[in-house]
Amino acid sequence: MTWLLWRQNRSRLATGAVLLAMFALAVVPTGVHMANVYDEAVLTCARNPTCAYAGNLFQGYGAIVDLVHLTILVPVVFGALGATLISREAENATNGLVWTQTVTRRRWLIATVAAMVVAAVLTSAVVSALVTWWSGTPNSIHGDRFQGAQFDTQNLVPVAAALFAVALGIAVGSLLRRTVPAIFVTVGAYVAVRMLVAVYLRPSYVGAATRSVPLGVDPSLPSGSWTLRQYITGSEGRVGNRGISIPTECAPSNPVGRGGPAVDRCLGKLGFRRVVEFQPASRYWHFQLVEAGLLTALAALLITVAVVHTLRRDA
Amino acid sequence: MADAPAIETVDLGKRFGSTWALRHCTLAIPEGRVCGLVGANGAGKTTLLRMLAGLSRPSTGEARLAGHPPADDPAFLGGIGYLAQEVPLYRRWTAADHLALGAHMNPVWDDDLARDRLLSLRIPLDRPVHRLSGGMRAQVALALALGKRPRVLLLDEPVAALDPLARREFLASLAGAVADGGVTVLLSSHLLPDLERVCDHLVLLADAEPVLAAEIADLLASHKRLRAPTRDTSAIERDHHVVMRTQTPREVTLVVRLAGPVVDPTWQVEDLDLEEIVLAYLERRVDEPTLALAAVR
Repeated sequence: MTWLLWRQNRSRLATGAVLLAMFALAVVPTGVHMANVYDEAVLTCARNPTCAYAGNLFQGYGAIVDLVHLTILVPVVFGALGATLISREAENATNGLVWTQTVTRRRWLIATVAAMVVAAVLTSAVVSALVTWWSGTPNSIHGDRFQGAQFDTQNLVPVAAALFAVALGIAVGSLLRRTVPAIFVTVGAYVAVRMLVAVYLRPSYVGAATRSVPLGVDPSLPSGSWTLRQYITGSEGRVGNRGISIPTECAPSNPVGRGGPAVDRCLGKLGFRRVVEFQPASRYWHFQLVEAGLLTALAALLITVAVVHTLRRDA
Repeated sequence: MADAPAIETVDLGKRFGSTWALRHCTLAIPEGRVCGLVGANGAGKTTLLRMLAGLSRPSTGEARLAGHPPADDPAFLGGIGYLAQEVPLYRRWTAADHLALGAHMNPVWDDDLARDRLLSLRIPLDRPVHRLSGGMRAQVALALALGKRPRVLLLDEPVAALDPLARREFLASLAGAVADGGVTVLLSSHLLPDLERVCDHLVLLADAEPVLAAEIADLLASHKRLRAPTRDTSAIERDHHVVMRTQTPREVTLVVRLAGPVVDPTWQVEDLDLEEIVLAYLERRVDEPTLALAAVR
């Protein structure tokens, strides 16, 4: 079996290794450079009160940022590879060839699936480690790490996502037994599941924290928190979409203007409050673990489906 | 054990939805035979071979090959060689890669046998198989099936895609490979003349059921065409098995399987060749004989 796995995958292994090396070559020098620039800026700022906003530091880094964010597609690649694992054999009828050698179908299936899963997990772990390390500097400048590419390409979630994608691909391929439809269905289903999870499940892995401050006062959330929702309350409860009819004592001196910090402060004194629902930055690891756990559980289920189905059905 | 048939099936059947691809299949093929499996397209040949190879699960009945029921088990898998209709190979692999596959995936592997076969047929071992001719690919697949030294060799239309010359060479090389005994071959084809050349046993499937299974020599000896002026045939029908009858106002012609000598000397007795016997059975079974005839020819 080892020989077969090696013979079938050696060129893919070589391609993967080259791509990984090229990625490291792009990420490592820029990561080091960014860290130096950032440290220098922080030092300068400490001495110079007219310090430029740190967010402007890395403008012009578009290409490398895009490249790093593109690693969000690593699971998609493994989903497509997984989708061809069993369907390609079925399509070319080579399953009838390998399953009539003296290696049992069960052993072939377990070894083939395991090799694919290990490849997906190892590759995505290396990519995630590089991206996580590289993102140390941007993370300290930019806001929350609960959303989008930042959540999906750093630490545990990208590895679990690759595991889920490859399992989804293997399951879909074993059911459809045609490579091209299997790839399309896998990619579509993967994107759909990840989006549904991010939009509908992720905000409520833990009940949101709430902070309420008088209008005009900065709610000063912990740095890196994920703001889910904010609204204004008055004496009659939550202020709806129609907004506030501003009392005369707070009316802006310039009637054209639509408020401003002074008006906000005035309304705050009258009892209007700003309420923010958010997930504190300290919950980041909890969120990573919950989502990674969810994806891993789905992957285990899908692999079981693929294995049981392939062992039961006719070749 | 020595007398147990190499291939044995009891009421083997396979149903896809509401249609039976094969049923009531009870066969016993003795060890060492080269058995032809004949029938029109869709008669159930591939279904039978796939069930025997363990690739497809029977809906009814059971089978044993060299003493083992088809199962996901090395004891069974080691005893069979199977070549599917599509002659599946890994396209970009060379013939040598396929031999290495055989060597790595079978505890019993005769590398010299497989390699020498391909070399003597002048098949390049170092070229990707998708750049070989259809006949060469079939030979690579056959070498892979023979290299594991199977007790039973199952070949599904291995010559269907080949031109007449390549077909003849393939069958000749197959006959050579199994000549040294021990191997039992079940070989399907809808080209009867091909089978006649290499087979000593015949199984005929029609409408998803076996209608004939016997030694070819016995078939030829026991089946005759009887011809006579039109008359009452009940005497013949009592003594022998009438496979087919055609009648004109002046003459009656019967194809019969004889149960003994023909006593009545007014019957003119003629020999039949294998194709005529097969056609007689197919015509008897099918109400619209033209379809089956066309396919068998």
